[in-house]
Amino acid sequence: MKRITTLFAGLFLTLSCFAQDIYSCKNTTLSFFSATPMEDIDAITSKGVSAINVKTGAVYFKVAVNTFKFKKSLMEEHFNENYLESDKYPNAEFKGKITDNIDLHKDGTYNVTVEGTLNMHGVDKLYREKATITVLGGKPAAETKFNVHLADHKIKIPTLVVKNIAETVEVTVKANYN
Amino acid sequence: MKYIFLLLLGCSLDCYAQDDLSKMFGNDSVKTHEPVIATYKSTRIIQGHSPETLKKRELDFRVAHHFGDLGGEYGGAKTFFGMDNSSDVRIAFEYGITDRLMVGIGRTKGSGSLTQLYEGLAKYRLLRQTTDDHVPVSVSLFGNAVASAMTSSVTKSDASYFDKFSDRMSYTGQVILARKFNRNLSLTLTPTLVHRNRVVYMDVNDLFALGAGGRFKFSKRLGLLVEYFYPFRSQESKDYFAARGQKFYNPLAVGLEIETGGHVFHVNFTNSTAILENQFIPETTTTWQQGQFRWGFNISRRFSL
Repeated sequence: MKRITTLFAGLFLTLSCFAQDIYSCKNTTLSFFSATPMEDIDAITSKGVSAINVKTGAVYFKVAVNTFKFKKSLMEEHFNENYLESDKYPNAEFKGKITDNIDLHKDGTYNVTVEGTLNMHGVDKLYREKATITVLGGKPAAETKFNVHLADHKIKIPTLVVKNIAETVEVTVKANYN
Repeated sequence: MKYIFLLLLGCSLDCYAQDDLSKMFGNDSVKTHEPVIATYKSTRIIQGHSPETLKKRELDFRVAHHFGDLGGEYGGAKTFFGMDNSSDVRIAFEYGITDRLMVGIGRTKGSGSLTQLYEGLAKYRLLRQTTDDHVPVSVSLFGNAVASAMTSSVTKSDASYFDKFSDRMSYTGQVILARKFNRNLSLTLTPTLVHRNRVVYMDVNDLFALGAGGRFKFSKRLGLLVEYFYPFRSQESKDYFAARGQKFYNPLAVGLEIETGGHVFHVNFTNSTAILENQFIPETTTTWQQGQFRWGFNISRRFSL
C-alpha cells in the first residue's frame, strides 16, 4: 500500500508538470511607429516568437530584425543596413518577468508590469513596462506598448535626416499563446 | 520501486528547471538563404549598371550630367574647369514593376556621332546573392534600345546619315555579376555587348566589352566607386582610326557615393564624355592623360508609389 501511495505521489508530481505552464506563440506581431514633421515611419512583422511561463511569470520574445516590412522599400533597406545593422545584429530579444503576483491559470484580464532586458542592435537595456494579459479558456494572450529611445540602443541618426526620423519609437507587441 | 519514484521525480524537476524560455525556439527565427541587401546603394555603379533593381512600385527620377574637359585644350580657367560646358545630360524615369524587374525611359543629349537619344531600358534581377553563400553572386540582366532623333546628315559616309529608321538604333546587353564580399566591399564584372546598327567605315557594329566595377564604403553613408570598361575592338579597326588621328580610350570613372536617406548623390570623374553605354563604350576618344576628364554627377530620387 505504501508503495502504491509513493508511486501515485510520484506520478502526480510528474503530471502536474505536464499540466501546461509554458505557452508559446510563433507568430507574434511586433510593430513600431514614429511620427515626425517630415514623414511617419511604421513597420510591422508577424514573424516574432514569444513564450510565457504562467507559473513563474517568465516572458520572452525574439524577432529577426529583417522581417520588419515597411511601406517604403528604401526605408526598409536603410533600416537594415544603416540603423539596426541586421547583418551584425540579426535579432532583437527580450527576456523578462511579470513582477505582479497573479495567477495566470485563471481566466481574466490582468494589467501587469513586466521587467526585463531588451537586447537590440547588440545593446542591452533594462525596461519596466505595463502589459495586458488576457487569459481565455486557460490560454493567455499578451499585448504591450512601450517607447524605445534609439540612443539607448546606440542607433545613430545622421544629422542630415534628423527631421525625418524620431528619436523615440513606439513599439507594440501582440502575442496569442497556445 | 524507489527507482521508479526517483525517475518520475527527476522528470518533474527537469520540467521546473526549464525557465529559460529562449531555449524553446532554438534558431527558429533565423531564416536561411537570406538575400544580401544593398550590394550597391543605387541601380548604377557610376555610369554603368549595378545588379540592383528598383523595388516594386518604386519610381526613380534620375538626372545625370557630365561637364566639359577639366584640363587640356578645352579645360582650365577659361571654361571654369569644364563647368561652362556640358558634354552629356540624361534625364530619366525608371520604375520597378516587380522586386526583380525594372523598366525605364530616358532622354539623353548624346555625345559622340549621334545625339538626341531616346532610351528604353529593362533590367531583370535573375539571382540574388544569399548571406549563407548558397548563391555566391548576384546576377542581373540589362538591356536597352536607343533611338536618335537627330536630323540625318547629308553626307552618306557619316554615322548620322540615316537611310531608314533602323539606322538610328543602337542596343546594349549586359550580364551583371556582382558579389558583396563584406559590408564595405562589393565588386562587379559586366560582360557587355553594344550593337550599333549604323557605324562609319571600319568601325564595328558589334562590340564586346568587359566592365569591372566596385565600391568601397568608408562609412555608413560614404563610398568610393570605381568603374572601368575594356572594349574588345579589333586591331584593324583600331589601326585604321589611329592612322586618321583618332584613338579610342577605355572609359575609367571614379566617384563618391553619398547617401542622404531618400537621395543617393554621386559625384564622379570620368574620361568618357557620353553617359549611355551605347556611346561611352565604343566611342570614348578622350583620355585622362591629357586632362580630358570631367566632373559628373548622378542624382537619384526614389518615390514609393
